Amino acid sequence: MSGSDDTSGRRGEGVVRPLRPYVDPPEEDEPATGSASAPVDASAPGTAASATAAAAGPGPVGEPVRRSLSVRPFLVTAGRTTDADRLPLETQVVTTAAGLDALPSLTFEQHDIVAACREPLSLAELAARLQHHLNVVRVLAGDLRSAGHLTVHAPQADAAHDLSVLRRVIDGLRAVPDSRGLTRDNNRPA
Amino acid sequence: MTTTALPNPSASGAGRPPLPVKMVIAGGFGVGKTTTVASISEIDPLTTEASITEVAAGVDDLTHTPHKTTTTVAMDFGVITLDPTLKLYLFGTPGQDRFGFMWDDLVAGALGGLVIVDTRRLDDCFAAVDYFENKGLPFAVGINVFDGNLDHDLDEVRWALDIPDSVPLVLFDARERGSVRDALLVVLELALQRAEEE
Ligand SMILES: Nc1nc2c(ncn2[C@@H]2O[C@H](COP(=O)(O)OP(=O)(O)O)[C@@H](O)[C@H]2O)c(=O)[nH]1
Ligand SMILES: [Mg+2]
Repeated sequence: MSGSDDTSGRRGEGVVRPLRPYVDPPEEDEPATGSASAPVDASAPGTAASATAAAAGPGPVGEPVRRSLSVRPFLVTAGRTTDADRLPLETQVVTTAAGLDALPSLTFEQHDIVAACREPLSLAELAARLQHHLNVVRVLAGDLRSAGHLTVHAPQADAAHDLSVLRRVIDGLRAVPDSRGLTRDNNRPA
Repeated sequence: MTTTALPNPSASGAGRPPLPVKMVIAGGFGVGKTTTVASISEIDPLTTEASITEVAAGVDDLTHTPHKTTTTVAMDFGVITLDPTLKLYLFGTPGQDRFGFMWDDLVAGALGGLVIVDTRRLDDCFAAVDYFENKGLPFAVGINVFDGNLDHDLDEVRWALDIPDSVPLVLFDARERGSVRDALLVVLELALQRAEEE
């Protein structure tokens, strides 16, 4: 679908090296390839529409969402204190027994979250399932955690530098079969 | 006890949830990010609204940007349960243009990144390449071989992309699970190598 309007590279005729405007900044008056149209692209309908939707969408959280985000340094996870708006997308959220007991008394959004997290879910999955902006889910999950209805498990902060984690991920991924059922290492059925 | 399939939250949250890790799939619009995630994810890719910081076009240094705005974007992602204690999340960067943006939220703590390239529009990937370089995130560049054709040799593409030899360049097919897996493994091997050197 993207093939008909290409201009920067030509198939079969060698590679054209395009300009990298922000790496080697062109002079002010130099015509920078493509840069003139970029701001227009950046504010294309999709972006604008979703921004509007988010502004209108979050619903009855009880207070302006944006304002509340910056003042809620309440999440204590695995011995670390984290700002709610810093909680990574993959943070796991799990309902507690108290949360299940409290289900009937919870507000609509809170109810949905507590009900969804009977199995561990990431903040990103929660936001996608409940169709809330990620930051809204962060705030709500933070509130529910404070009330004891959820536990919040932030990912291991240094996972990216932890050799054993990296090796586990590599081993796990190698064992994922391809579409013919072959794993990476063995080229054998898993 | 090990036969209990699901963590039991009523046991006072005792069931420890799996360790979540993530990787970031970046690249220009239409290069195959969502396809890549869908090929290997065990769930259909989900979409969530999230905030990114956009940097005014025309700036030359992402670390000294005067004009930033926060924008809500739709971001899709998938997940692979590698074992009962380990989940790998794959986040596709929102399809932005090739100018500045900061996915700090997305990238914080990520194991690595895969920048997908369509050789017909090489420059669409530069913002991602620059961003990952600036962040020091281990990444590889994956050329999505649309329709199984690659008309350029890899050295030529490497030259055009202006990436150092330390950045792996791989051919892969976004529609093929095994091919996506192998491209991700290239990123992870690089991440491991870097971590070992630390
Ligand atoms: N023929 C072919 N089509 C592809 C391939 N990868 C992606 N596409 C198609 O290209 C279009 C854009 O892909 P998508 O994954 O949505 O790109 P994204 O914008 O980067 O998420 C979709 O219609 C895909 O079906 C590929 O390897 N071969
Ligand atoms: Mg997409």
